[in-house]
Amino acid sequence: MNIWEKKITAFIGPSGCGKSTLLRTFNRMYQLYPSQEARGEIMMDGMNILDKKQDVNMLRAKVGMVFQKPTPFPMSIFDNVAFGVKLYETLNRNELEERVEWALQKAALWEEVKDKLNQSGISLSGGQQQRLCIARTIAVKPEVVLLDEPTSALDPISTARIEDLIFTLKEDYTIVIVTHNMQQAARVSDYTAYMYLGELIEFADTDTIFTKPKQKATEDYITGKFG
Amino acid sequence: MSKIHFAAKLKRQLLFDWIFHKVTWFFTFVVFALLAALIGSLIIGSMPAIKAFGFDFLFSADWNPVTEKFGALVPIVGTLITSIIALSIGIPVSFGIALFLTELSPPWLRRPLGTAIELLAGIPSIIYGMWGLFVFAPLFAQYVQPWLQNTLGQIPGISFLFEGSFMGIGMLTAGIILAIMVIPFIAAVMRDVFEIVPPMLKESAYAFGATTWEVIWYVVLPYTKIGVVGAIMLGLGRALGETMAVTFVIGNAHQLHASLFMPGNSIASALANEFTEADGELYTSALIELGLILFFITFVVLAFSKILLVQLKKREGTVT
Amino acid sequence: MTFGLFWLSWILFTLFEKGLGGISMAIFTQMTPAPGSTGGLLNAITGSLAMVILATLIGTPIGIMAGTYLAEYGQRSWLAPITRFINDILLSAPSIVIGLFVYTVYVAKMGHFSGWAGALALSLIVIPVVVRTTEDMLRLIPDSLREAAAALGAPQWKIVTLVTWRASKVGIMTGVLLAIARISGETAPLLFTSLNNQFWNADMNQPMANLPVVIFQFAMSPYENWQELAWTGALLITLSVLGLNIAARFFLRKQVSLN
Repeated sequence: MNIWEKKITAFIGPSGCGKSTLLRTFNRMYQLYPSQEARGEIMMDGMNILDKKQDVNMLRAKVGMVFQKPTPFPMSIFDNVAFGVKLYETLNRNELEERVEWALQKAALWEEVKDKLNQSGISLSGGQQQRLCIARTIAVKPEVVLLDEPTSALDPISTARIEDLIFTLKEDYTIVIVTHNMQQAARVSDYTAYMYLGELIEFADTDTIFTKPKQKATEDYITGKFG
Repeated sequence: MSKIHFAAKLKRQLLFDWIFHKVTWFFTFVVFALLAALIGSLIIGSMPAIKAFGFDFLFSADWNPVTEKFGALVPIVGTLITSIIALSIGIPVSFGIALFLTELSPPWLRRPLGTAIELLAGIPSIIYGMWGLFVFAPLFAQYVQPWLQNTLGQIPGISFLFEGSFMGIGMLTAGIILAIMVIPFIAAVMRDVFEIVPPMLKESAYAFGATTWEVIWYVVLPYTKIGVVGAIMLGLGRALGETMAVTFVIGNAHQLHASLFMPGNSIASALANEFTEADGELYTSALIELGLILFFITFVVLAFSKILLVQLKKREGTVT
Repeated sequence: MTFGLFWLSWILFTLFEKGLGGISMAIFTQMTPAPGSTGGLLNAITGSLAMVILATLIGTPIGIMAGTYLAEYGQRSWLAPITRFINDILLSAPSIVIGLFVYTVYVAKMGHFSGWAGALALSLIVIPVVVRTTEDMLRLIPDSLREAAAALGAPQWKIVTLVTWRASKVGIMTGVLLAIARISGETAPLLFTSLNNQFWNADMNQPMANLPVVIFQFAMSPYENWQELAWTGALLITLSVLGLNIAARFFLRKQVSLN
């Protein structure tokens, strides 16, 4: 299957079907755990991601990821956003401040935190924390942003804000989102893939999947007969 | 961002990563090497004594620096007897404290009492020793020892344990001070062990109409049996190696007495008292061999208790 | 059962009763006296402080590094499980045996007792405590935090130093405090390493006075003024150890509520 540039692709399916696992191969996150390994090929910019020669840290700088639960680092809001930037770029203080402001604006968080950039990232609310994590991810200017159920730990209002945010982000980034919330997939994505028991059952543009799916299994899941 | 710059930074990161890994590995190896060195140096240091006395060292009660005849029987027996006294007093009491803390006490009392127990476990042992020598021993000689001789001492068969004058110091006092020392320690571990009994299990027993005691006896105890033994073993390990508290009150005499009122010696206090004064290679070496024996005994006890505690965790399904 | 509190208050009561009377400026300004004359504990207090500080400075980095290795790299190494086991043994090994060890490898080789040997022996007690708490605290940090940092392309050493160490800072501090509390009352390992010194001494290569050994020798002596000083010293030690323990407990609660 193909993941299109500057579009939003959603993976849906029941719990345990392998959505998150698949997502975690895109930035080789599985590599943190010695017992896990991946086979096959994932091509990006003409290179196989899974190739041993591919440098993991470089890959991860190009493929950002946002997790299910907000994971602010135990440092100030500013440092949270600057963390990734400082890893691979040498910016002077002004450039760095500009970059942090830019990322926070992109993540629609700037207005709320501009007066308290020195406070700890942990002091923010759950929704703000998650937007901080998104800001942190895009500050590195990745090509692809992976979102692993980014709203499942949040209340409906925060969820709505994050969905808006995702929608605007697709202008600049390729976005892959995993969700078990079908409405969310229908609302935000351009393409949708349905997975079941580790298999990709169907992949098409979102309208097709949700209105006239080809596979019976997909239809059952979407209409709520199953899952 | 420029590609070249990016690659250079990347290379540096990889180098740092490698260094960091190796540095932490190195320090871990240092910790590992320390124990090896510890055992090694003890064995090397005790070689002269091992050569001179062989296995007789373990069974001989001689201890004569002048004629250079050494045997470890007195301190070994002293160590074991004081530890046994400490445990036979300490186990029931700390068991009671742990049960009280987990099952019986009103919730508002639990925190302060638990903290007090833990603080008691943190007091340096030399304080216990001083307190034992200056406060406890005189009281003990004046009131408790005569009473013991008049009661337990009258029972035929064990009367020999309570013969002699009332000096206040001696094996029994050492055992009791040790008991006071290990009680908070054992109680704290036991409390943690009791706390892992799932409340569901207790509730379902209460639902059958069981009394508190029945629940403790038939549900809590069988469930935590191994952990309780592990806690006791940890306490034993501590009692065996305790130096200062014992040295103050045991009397430091290289004699074997049946009576618990008489002074004796333990491995740790023999070391504390004599090591700096030891002259002659054989004397020093004999003392180091004592240390080796002590280390070996505690090692076995600790390894045993660790295995038991791990088994308890396995049954819990929370192997860490 | 008020059993525990009963002993705690009895011991504390005795300490205050016998030790408080001796507390005066002289304790902190004068040397340990000869039998029968007056004096203070100055050389013992500074000696203890010097050795405890040195031992902490030696033991803490080793302990934190080793604990970090066990928690962060430990899964794929043969060294980790063995070291973990050995560390637990060291954690509860009789402290007098540690004194014996330092004596045979350091004091006997150098030919004299010294403050350095005392500090070394104490650091051997610090290391296992710090290793254990560092590992436990790092394991409390959720993996998601590590993943988040890794997802930004951070190399492992940056993840550890900038993220997980920071997140568990308070917990690791607790371990260090507990270790300090433990060594400030330790007597047995100092008997054969730093021994004692009647006089002022700032040379770590010489035998060095320290509170626990002074307490031991003075308490066992027949001289009344020495015994009084021993009680005062005992009060000082107990108060500082209790203070450290309470501080550690406070920090620990803070760390747990952070996670």
